[in-house]
Amino acid sequence: MKRPLQYLALACYVAFLGFPLLWLLGTAMKGPDELTTGGVVPLSPTFENFGDAVGRADLITAATNSLVVALGTTALVLVLALPSAYALARYRTRLKIAANAWVLVSQVFPVILVALPLFLILRQFRLVDSLVGLTLVHAVYALPFALWMLQGYIAAIPRDVEEAGVVDGAGRLRVLVSIVAPLLAPGLVATAMFTMISSWNEFFFALVLIQDPAKVTLPLTLARFVGAEGQVQLGALAAGALLATVPSLLFFAAIQRRLTSGLLSGAVKG
Amino acid sequence: MHLRRLGLAAAAVLLAGCATAPVGPDVDESAGPITLRFQSLAFQEPSVAATERIVAAWNAEHPDVQVQLAQGSWDAVHDQLVTQFQGGTAPDVIHDESADIAGFARQGYLADLGPHLSEDTRSGVPQGVWEAVTVDGTVVAAPTLLQSYVVFANTTVLEQAGVTIPTSPTWTWDELADAARRTTTPDRPGLGWGMRQPTATVMSLGLGFGGTFFTGGGDAATLQVGDAELQVPRRIHDMAYADRSLDPTSLTQSGSDVITAFLAGRYAMVVAGSYVAQQLAEAAPPGFAWRVLPALAGTSPNQAANPQTLSVPADSPHVEQAAEFIEFVMRAENLAALAQGEWLIPASEPARNAVHAATGGRDGWEATLDGAQYLTTAPFQGVADYPQWKDQIATPALQRYLGNQTDLPTLQRELTEGWAQVAGG
Repeated sequence: MKRPLQYLALACYVAFLGFPLLWLLGTAMKGPDELTTGGVVPLSPTFENFGDAVGRADLITAATNSLVVALGTTALVLVLALPSAYALARYRTRLKIAANAWVLVSQVFPVILVALPLFLILRQFRLVDSLVGLTLVHAVYALPFALWMLQGYIAAIPRDVEEAGVVDGAGRLRVLVSIVAPLLAPGLVATAMFTMISSWNEFFFALVLIQDPAKVTLPLTLARFVGAEGQVQLGALAAGALLATVPSLLFFAAIQRRLTSGLLSGAVKG
Repeated sequence: MHLRRLGLAAAAVLLAGCATAPVGPDVDESAGPITLRFQSLAFQEPSVAATERIVAAWNAEHPDVQVQLAQGSWDAVHDQLVTQFQGGTAPDVIHDESADIAGFARQGYLADLGPHLSEDTRSGVPQGVWEAVTVDGTVVAAPTLLQSYVVFANTTVLEQAGVTIPTSPTWTWDELADAARRTTTPDRPGLGWGMRQPTATVMSLGLGFGGTFFTGGGDAATLQVGDAELQVPRRIHDMAYADRSLDPTSLTQSGSDVITAFLAGRYAMVVAGSYVAQQLAEAAPPGFAWRVLPALAGTSPNQAANPQTLSVPADSPHVEQAAEFIEFVMRAENLAALAQGEWLIPASEPARNAVHAATGGRDGWEATLDGAQYLTTAPFQGVADYPQWKDQIATPALQRYLGNQTDLPTLQRELTEGWAQVAGG
């Protein structure tokens, strides 16, 4: 009796979590007359909205741009965050306190506050209207939280493992690359996922920095389905948003197996 | 030790890179044709296509001045322009609305288009609409498209209730209240009105009772909230809570939510932006008979004009050419194509005539185009602290009153004291 209840609770939870996606799918497959009548399930399903979304906005180019920026951001953040987080987690200095405090403080700045100075700096280096510039901005924006996340994962790795490596003659860099990084795989994957999501969905910096129609990202393209006075092209927007989730779903499907825990079990014999 | 040296070397390389990085304008202005960047916010597919056609036609006629079209979004145009004006990278031709650009104009970001616009363009647009894009005596934009608030009626329900469909040029608020009462049944209120953001509606329709709210402009404006200013909220409140002919629930909803209910037959009438006619034309179920009723009038049928605009940054190196392109867009056939695509009213009379000729006045166009003559400038559009007062004071105060949580004297006091607070006394 207990198990069926657990399954029921789990099913309710999954349905709750999946409802937005189901609503999106239902709305994307409704015709114009059904869009105004409510209900999640389309009575006469149609793929017209997908055609409209792709035809009206160049979703393929936008998705490619978003993917380039998101993958670039993720790679840059991981390369920068791994050694920094390792240093913050393992070295006990006053700098560590200051650095952690700064990481926290940097998260409370409103985006609009940093947008203008950032824009002016990037303009000096001709990085406005460039995917490289946007990647740098996204990396700067995601780095503090990635640092925070990775510190926790690194702290969970027993020092004994590293000391064993040092005893065998490995230097700091070798310890980091050959011992810590593999053990940190689940943490790196989780951090990569977080970074990827934040860059994939980011709207405001892309809005301000990108002007060339060939370089716009997906969130900017989707925003075009919203007009003045609260008008929304709901069918096309839902179809576009649904298509926009596909690359990130594929990415997560590919890497989620790496998110397993327990890699450390048995690493240190007690 | 190696790592430290490596770090120092990397820092040196980065600094050297920064020091030698090129600085200055992104575009080489000395060679080739002039390129104007035009950010359009055209939303509906037909108006996006019309914009592309207009730009292509211009580019074909003007090999020396090429327009590069970029598609923007209404959703965040203000934040985008704030940054771009500061950074000196705003598009050469900016699409926005008059209420939004007034602040930019006051900060000196927009060029004076007055000397560049032809007499034909000027005379085709009513003076009241020009005033909506005139800041401190300077014409900072060309008005393109407008919307008004109109009453949409389910004519079948009106006829069944014995309400005569009005054919006069205007329709009074008393007649609206009477029709709402007569079409109300125990199962169905006569009127639905999406008023989730009530301030713009109250300020705009208030003009019809002489409710100007503000006198003076810029930082020197003063607010008065008298009988004329309170007429619109009072009448809406009375219909909702005294007559019970207006659905109070609809007052908390967005315009599109209420239109959905209207199409489902839940109301006999709704008040909404004129552009909603498109939704009705496309989504009305078979047999659903509807029409746009004549312009709603208090002591006059006046409403505030908040036109969409085209303007040019003051620091654009090509103000004259950008203004010529705007003139091109303002041609009757171009403006008419944009207006039809967005289901909005073109600002110029020749363009309105072109829309009427093209649509035959069907699908509500007749009454919508007729209502354009009553759109005029409103004092609040020139008030520096209006946006803050609107968001922080007026909207919540009106929401409380229309939600029947406060009374009219309280609304009056909250609006007045709130202005004193916002404007510093």
